[in-house]
Amino acid sequence: MKTFLKKTLLPAALLVGTVLSVPAIAAEDAINVTNLSYRTGPFAATGTPLMNGQRDYMLMLNERDGGVNGVKLNYDECETGYNTEKGAECYEKTKATSIVTQPWSTGITLQVLPKSNVDKVPILAPGYGFSPMTDGKVFQWAFNPPATYWDGASMILKAISDGNVENLKGKKIVLLHLDAPYGKEPIPLIQAYADKYGFTFLPIPVGVKEMQNQSAQWLQIRRERPDFVLMWGWGAMNVGAVTEAVKTKFPMDKFVGIWWSGHDGDMKSVGEAGKGYRSLSWSLPDSNSQVMQDIKKYVVDAGKSQIGEGEFDWVFYQRGVLISMFTVEGIKAAQEHFGTKVVNPEQLRWGLENLKLDEAKLASIGMSGMIGPFSTACNNHAGHAGAWMMQWDGGKFAKVSDLLSADQDMIAPLVEAEAKKYAEANAPWPVNEECK
Amino acid sequence: MLYRTAGQFKTSYYADHALFPVRQDAMLLGFILLLAFVVFPMTADEFVFKALLVPVLIYALAALGLNILTGFAGQLSLGTGAFMGVGAYACYKLVSIFPEMNIVVAIALSGFFSAAVGVAFGLPSLRIKGFYLAIATLAAQFFLVWLFEKWAWLYNYNSSGAIQVPNIDMFGVTVAGPNASAVVQYYFVLCVVSLITLLSINITRGRIGRIWKSVRDMDIAAELVGINLMKAKLSAFAVSSYIVGIAGALFVFLWRGAAEPVLFDIPLSFRVLFIAIIGGLGSILGNYLGAILIVALPVVISALPSALGLPVSSATVEHLNTMIIGALIIAFLIIEPHGLARFWAIIREKLIMWPFPH
Repeated sequence: MKTFLKKTLLPAALLVGTVLSVPAIAAEDAINVTNLSYRTGPFAATGTPLMNGQRDYMLMLNERDGGVNGVKLNYDECETGYNTEKGAECYEKTKATSIVTQPWSTGITLQVLPKSNVDKVPILAPGYGFSPMTDGKVFQWAFNPPATYWDGASMILKAISDGNVENLKGKKIVLLHLDAPYGKEPIPLIQAYADKYGFTFLPIPVGVKEMQNQSAQWLQIRRERPDFVLMWGWGAMNVGAVTEAVKTKFPMDKFVGIWWSGHDGDMKSVGEAGKGYRSLSWSLPDSNSQVMQDIKKYVVDAGKSQIGEGEFDWVFYQRGVLISMFTVEGIKAAQEHFGTKVVNPEQLRWGLENLKLDEAKLASIGMSGMIGPFSTACNNHAGHAGAWMMQWDGGKFAKVSDLLSADQDMIAPLVEAEAKKYAEANAPWPVNEECK
Repeated sequence: MLYRTAGQFKTSYYADHALFPVRQDAMLLGFILLLAFVVFPMTADEFVFKALLVPVLIYALAALGLNILTGFAGQLSLGTGAFMGVGAYACYKLVSIFPEMNIVVAIALSGFFSAAVGVAFGLPSLRIKGFYLAIATLAAQFFLVWLFEKWAWLYNYNSSGAIQVPNIDMFGVTVAGPNASAVVQYYFVLCVVSLITLLSINITRGRIGRIWKSVRDMDIAAELVGINLMKAKLSAFAVSSYIVGIAGALFVFLWRGAAEPVLFDIPLSFRVLFIAIIGGLGSILGNYLGAILIVALPVVISALPSALGLPVSSATVEHLNTMIIGALIIAFLIIEPHGLARFWAIIREKLIMWPFPH
């Protein structure tokens, strides 16, 4: 008796859904850029400034220049809450209209990566995602400029060994990482370094559920007495780790995080006690640069921004600006190459593959010194830009090193092997044969 | 008027035992099947398939599995997410070890792995009951997710620790993996779900189902009339975990395409449990109603403002969504504590009387 009408409400819900999912018709001469944002959920604190920065750069271009070469940018967001399931849903919703997909989590990236060859929408994962994506021959539609996690790991190892990794011989290095695809990314590379240079490497995972209570992990770190602790943390995990490090009196100058573990808001909670903590960053905040002043003038002072008190100077806010810049420069390159105004996803793919961000270019868009110069190519989708070490001085992050560069001799063989493994596991996987 | 049962006489036991003794019920089901098999595939676009139809069916199947255990046999379980994970990982290993194996066979076999694990974790149910049993199944949840993370063989030593579904063909049509088309995957899921639903209806209204129900209502009385409690409880765990395992395999292979261990963590178990409870424990229809409320409605709500042209930011919509769904769950449970299926049953009773209540 209970089985009749299995899906009574389904038709109603679905009819509504069908009607609603018809994409809004884009206005003439506009490019839709939809971002899979996460202003809610456990990682909202780190996500919000990044999303604000991305949004404000595009708004500024629309206000100042009327878009890109006369084409307005329709910046939009689809909220995922950093949830993979919502992310996949957003991807389905936006892939028809948006010219680029920004998945914003390694989990969502892994989910949409296999579909990129079918749907033909470029995936832009700046400074995150799957490190082997840099192999553009295999991952034709995925881009992770300006540097991969493996570049980051290599640069950190260089920085803590004063420029010569040989110095690490006999030392012990702990990697405190989020127990998720993101946190596991650097392990193969650091392991390869450990094997070659003879230091002890110990990864200590932090489960997503225990992010805020890492006493067990730090007890282990105290017992192991490592020479350095590297951190691949995110969101609440950063605060948890820094607080525990302060509590266990771990020397802060031996504690180094990747670029996602250098958030001003996280460090503010420990303030002075966190002095000496370092974080690698491929972006340098510079509130006096031309671009930031323009954003201040056209967006923030005009009351169009969503940023909060002091957020303007944050590393993550200004990094968001740079991330939008990648998309915009890709659009510009494509417009020029194809001689069209409104580029489509396939043309943007070409644009992202031919980014040329040298000093002169960065100066012309008002971003001198905010990011290391780099260029992408068909076999190099990351660009392998350099990065700086930033140090927390108790109130803000300050640059403490010159531009570091990654050791591609260590990384390239691993990239090739992992990309090949991926393509084989997902056969038939199209490879760009034209690219040499 | 619309639902008049007067005049529908049963002249044989066979007719009286039919799946749908009331003609209108059968017609209604026929109409819904027509919608599901013909109308939706013709009208829906890829987003509707991937964000509404397929997830509703898969979650409904998982809830159906749980409902057999909790609603029919009365054994509370919090390990559903992990059992789905067992099905998914088993299917992944089967497909990677035997690449030429038909996907239907692989999915059907992967159910047996989760059934075996389910029975193993169901053993405590012979000694403990109610909330204590829920805690024992919670142990399964923690242990299995930990295993998915640590046992690298399960994910073929992939450096990211996630599993990825390769392209899988069946009779020349790609059914799983990035190249599969949404409509094919929908039909695949729909057929599997319909088949299992039909089997479940017949199991639960037959001898085995009555044994389960008697155990649920009073196990001591059931034992006194000669029911073997061990057999009854373990068979409920086995059947339930089998269905849940199949739902897990479909979840990853026909919908998500990739999965990381944390996906099968407690939130998934709770989600499935909520679907079963809100839909109605001890009902099969309820699983579908619950899945529509919990899975499909948020998607529809989040698409509403942009479709109507309201300038609401997507983060605000997400917050509103959580509030609306939460309020609806409470509202429905206040109106009808026995779930949506019971709610429908009352509406149906009224319709049969309408417009001339005595």
